[in-house]
Amino acid sequence: MAVSARLVATRRLSNLVFVAFCGVVTAIALTALALILYSLVTQGIGGMNLDIFTKSTPAAGTPGGLINAIVGSIMMSVVGMFIALLIGILAGTWLAEYAGESRFGAVVRFLNDVLLSAPSILIGLFVYEILVFPFKTFSGFAGGVALAMLAAPVITRTTEDVLKLQPIALRESGVALGSPVWHVIRNILWRGATSGILTGALLAFARISGETAPLLFTALNNQFFSWDMAHPMSSLPVVIFQDALTPYPDLNRLAWAGALLIAGSVLGVTIIARAFAKEPKR
Amino acid sequence: MPLSATHAIPDVSIAKIDASQVKLDVQNLDFFYGKNRALKSVSIPFEANAVTALIGPSGCGKSTLLRTLNRMYALYPGQRATGKIMLDGEDILRPGVNLSMLRAKIGMVFQKPTPFPMSIYDNVAFGVRLYETLNKTDMSERVEESLRRAALWEEVKDKLQTSGLGLSGGQQQRLCVARCIAVKPEILLLDEPTSALDPISSAKLEETVTQLKQDYTIVIVTHNLGQAARISKYTGFMYLGELVEFGQTAEMFTKPVTTRGSDYITGRFG
Amino acid sequence: MSIELNAVRRRSTPHGFAFEPIFEGLCFGAATMLLIALGGVLVALTIGGWPAFSKFGLDFITGVTWDPNPEHEVYGAAGPIVGTLLTSALALLMALPVAGGVAFFLVELCPTFLRRPIGTAVELLAGIPSIVYGMWGLFVFAPFFASHVETPLMSAAPAGSIWETVFSGIPNGSGILAASIILAIMILPFMAATLRELLSTVPAQVRESAYGLGATTGEVVMKVTLPYVQRGAIGAVMLGLGRALGETMAVTFIIGNSHGFPKGMFDSGSTIASTIANEFNEASGLQSSSLIALGLLLFVITFIVLALARLLLRNQVKA
Repeated sequence: MAVSARLVATRRLSNLVFVAFCGVVTAIALTALALILYSLVTQGIGGMNLDIFTKSTPAAGTPGGLINAIVGSIMMSVVGMFIALLIGILAGTWLAEYAGESRFGAVVRFLNDVLLSAPSILIGLFVYEILVFPFKTFSGFAGGVALAMLAAPVITRTTEDVLKLQPIALRESGVALGSPVWHVIRNILWRGATSGILTGALLAFARISGETAPLLFTALNNQFFSWDMAHPMSSLPVVIFQDALTPYPDLNRLAWAGALLIAGSVLGVTIIARAFAKEPKR
Repeated sequence: MPLSATHAIPDVSIAKIDASQVKLDVQNLDFFYGKNRALKSVSIPFEANAVTALIGPSGCGKSTLLRTLNRMYALYPGQRATGKIMLDGEDILRPGVNLSMLRAKIGMVFQKPTPFPMSIYDNVAFGVRLYETLNKTDMSERVEESLRRAALWEEVKDKLQTSGLGLSGGQQQRLCVARCIAVKPEILLLDEPTSALDPISSAKLEETVTQLKQDYTIVIVTHNLGQAARISKYTGFMYLGELVEFGQTAEMFTKPVTTRGSDYITGRFG
Repeated sequence: MSIELNAVRRRSTPHGFAFEPIFEGLCFGAATMLLIALGGVLVALTIGGWPAFSKFGLDFITGVTWDPNPEHEVYGAAGPIVGTLLTSALALLMALPVAGGVAFFLVELCPTFLRRPIGTAVELLAGIPSIVYGMWGLFVFAPFFASHVETPLMSAAPAGSIWETVFSGIPNGSGILAASIILAIMILPFMAATLRELLSTVPAQVRESAYGLGATTGEVVMKVTLPYVQRGAIGAVMLGLGRALGETMAVTFIIGNSHGFPKGMFDSGSTIASTIANEFNEASGLQSSSLIALGLLLFVITFIVLALARLLLRNQVKA
């Protein structure tokens, strides 16, 4: 059998080019991302001090911190997660347990996937129209609702997925004992899906805690420390956005410190979520 | 029985059982998955306090028959059954039957073990708590008794509060049996209960079933002809949605009456 | 105390049977809420944007003047629309080969001990908030880009050539191309992670039988693995595009925010999302309506892209 030496040489060369290309672009990509992390960490640590956690956002030239933004972010994320968990778990349960092959189920599943990656700024506009404009004030609550709209599709999707992973025989054996279906879902299926749903919830939490765009027109911002969710509320991303765009170096430093805080907590939550996902089933 | 040309071999042969001995009586049962007819006017009696085995090739309808007996199919829209299934003189296919109470009378164990994600104790207590409000002592007694009858007590008595998921496959399956018994059913439906188990666990489960038959009416679906021969008093052979032959296991395995029955039992198909 | 059998039972119907339909209703209601949310976005944007559409008609989409000056308010969205499409397309063009390379590297070439750490790093980076990319773009990338790329390229351009036209603008580090690069870096980890997950769904036997025929790594990837997941791969790319189209923060920091029609790669411009983010809170009346109308356009564009992506990706990966 004649093997064409030229053909073999060409193939080897083109493979070499392919391999080299993959290696090089991976190196470039990792370098670019490493550079971003490097700037984030060095600049962020440079701006870090005790004031960050004790003082509210300052005007340019005066000392200040981010405590109002940190508390605002946490409060709105918690409200958002509360609403999103309520809707997401129930909706995911409906898709997994009741929807079956129905047309309506397919539509909800599909539109939920679209909502999952819809531009977050549009969610902000929508919530502005329904909660800010009619009530004539920006509010922390509106911000929470906007964040909930971003988190709910994630939780819906994960809940459906993990419920569907459980064997049909499991729900049937609950029903075979004479248990009402909702009782089987609550006490058997949800229980078995806890770690999966928790993972989804943490990922959703990580996602919404870094979102800026939907808060711009809903919670707006607040220079002062506030627990009042019926009025404008500060949040880390919005403060970063506003302070980074000012020409004042001290505000820019504050923005870097805030960015490091956010990125750090998002990474932390994501890592915890992944650890939950990996935990072997006992 | 010598066969001659004048003695035509019957196509279908269903033995009769004394009506007073029958616990559960299926009469002209048809079953539909949507438009697909999966059972074709099946009539079969199940004797009280005896084991009846259902055998036949995959897709013959034996599991479907089992799932109509506790109306498990009612979970799924599009599945329906017509005909009659008489339990203690009452038709359980009649609309308006309280499915919960029906299923409390009829326990079911599945092909794969299905321990609930909770402790061994709570697994067994799960069903009981649905119907009865027992104090702690009574509940513990019930749990112990059920586990004993399922021949699992000795192995788990020191770890009742650990997760049921931590048991071996065979133990999990006996836990499922205990969970059924705890509700005090009258009938046990076993859907290929040993097909996911190793030979030793299978033997243990068979032993358990043999002990339970004094008190329960047991219907077992199995692929394992040896198992059917070992533990059942009656055997029904199903093929393509029909009940082809039904009779005493001892007779059926030695001299099957129908051609299809004898072909299956002698291993010529299936 | 044995379990007495066939005795008269004092069982009662399980508690909570009445709750059965209520529970199903609650679940159904929650699922319907998701539908209403998406439908609500569409309806609210249409109603809010209607005054702008009815006043400007088709000129709203084709007009190049965006002037909020109350004396002679005119809103033509061609600038932001073109800016959105252009930056997203350029970002995709840059990110796709790199994301593909990273995914292939991780699945086929990477030494085992590096596979997990690099793979995890890529997935973690996909979760970094986009505002971080935007800040890095503004403070670190833009100055570098201005002095090391824009200025040399512009001064080297022969007068009157196409080169000069393409690379025209102000060499201050922000503009269409700079925004596209930041967008590309932002969608890169996401696309690489999705592609990697997709490629790892190819059964080992399929790849191994190709290697068994003597195929090289490159041939296995390009002729066997990639075609195997073709549909999903296109879906993953569209999902990345959807992200780029709707991205606000990574772009707003560095695109320069001018409403005109961009004249060159280094010229400042705007996208739909950046325009809304910059102006909505100060806007009222017709300007506000025009911004919402812009939002509706973005909604329609991304909905089409995302719907296609989901149809192609259906049941393949969780992204």
